[in-house]
Amino acid sequence: METVAFYSYKGGVGRSQLLAHAAEFLVGLGKGVVALDLDFEAPGLHYKLPEFRPPGSPPFTGGAVPYLLATADGAESAPPLGDHTISVPVFANANGWLRLMPAGPAPHRAYWAALKALGDKLRPADPSGRGFMAMLDLQARIQDELKPDYLLIDARTGVTEIGSLATTILADTVVCMFVGNFEAFDGTLAVIEALKNAPRLTSQKPIRVVPILSREQKFDKYIADRARSVLREKGLTLFVLPHDQFATAEKAISEPLLIKYHELFQRLFERSPENL
Amino acid sequence: METDLLNTLVTEAIWRAEELEALGKRPALSAWEDVSRIEEQLAKALPVSEAQGRIARRGAVDAALKAGDYDRAQALADAYIAEEAAPDSLKTALREILEEADQEIASRFQHAAKHHTPREAREFARRFSEAGAFGMAA
Repeated sequence: METVAFYSYKGGVGRSQLLAHAAEFLVGLGKGVVALDLDFEAPGLHYKLPEFRPPGSPPFTGGAVPYLLATADGAESAPPLGDHTISVPVFANANGWLRLMPAGPAPHRAYWAALKALGDKLRPADPSGRGFMAMLDLQARIQDELKPDYLLIDARTGVTEIGSLATTILADTVVCMFVGNFEAFDGTLAVIEALKNAPRLTSQKPIRVVPILSREQKFDKYIADRARSVLREKGLTLFVLPHDQFATAEKAISEPLLIKYHELFQRLFERSPENL
Repeated sequence: METDLLNTLVTEAIWRAEELEALGKRPALSAWEDVSRIEEQLAKALPVSEAQGRIARRGAVDAALKAGDYDRAQALADAYIAEEAAPDSLKTALREILEEADQEIASRFQHAAKHHTPREAREFARRFSEAGAFGMAA
């Protein structure tokens, strides 16, 4: 299982949308994919990857936060993954499959209460190592039981414990997205530096970082050139996704952006030596 | 400090920690740290040859673990095991307390434990705690 975390230092870059399209791309290649929403404070992946629920069926109440809370509460055994993940319908003729573990039933009061309780009981930096083991266990359990080819993680924006854990510890590859301003780029650059120097667990390879300038517009050329140059010095190649007014408005995506998405996914997932 | 007073304090501290545990893990952590520190004082005041001294040593290590401070528990255990007069039964008991803590984590997180040890997770948690997210606070 390859774990790819989608991260952005600032919000509004199209991170969840890119993840959702990446999942669909992989399903089209016949891959099994689990999408995991670790953006606990502002979860939204379930809007991008909606499940099919028959009319009248009860609302889904599972997700990563309720799952981790049940684990932290000291249950004899962790709850079944099936109670906390949902099957996402994929397009006809697709050979792959897609399951989503949303953060939880957000945006509802019970979710925020569960998140508060989780914060009181389980933190990644808990010195006992329990918080760390709980997150590693969730990832390993997904691998053992669901057996996907890819785990795609929507990581928390900014500099947070959970975002850091998702990227520096859980991920094999980190997609770092930013839009065309120095506020976003400077923060992203600091995080990329940190990712490249992050200590790894035994048996883990160094993190692969893929920087992406998203929603590029004509007047972003200066920062695109600057970013390209700075990142090249660090041995990284910048990938640019054009601005798309339909995507920004969360409507259907126009063809130029779709083409760029596919170029990116080929680079991300089809491992030729120059892509490593 | 008088051992009688320390015994009273540790009894109260244990009661408080247990009560706080009912409210949630996090509020109880510092209470267990208090217990461990008082037990440590008792262990200093009472020789290892006395039963009360051995109980205090086990209590200090056990409470440090309940406080989530494995490093401190390990350091205390190492110091008590190194005491010349420490009986083998105490050394064994202290080692078992630490091993049980590891086993409890490994059995709770069985999938992760196939790839990573609780010791490694603790080491990373410690680095994480010291350096902050992305090591930005380092």
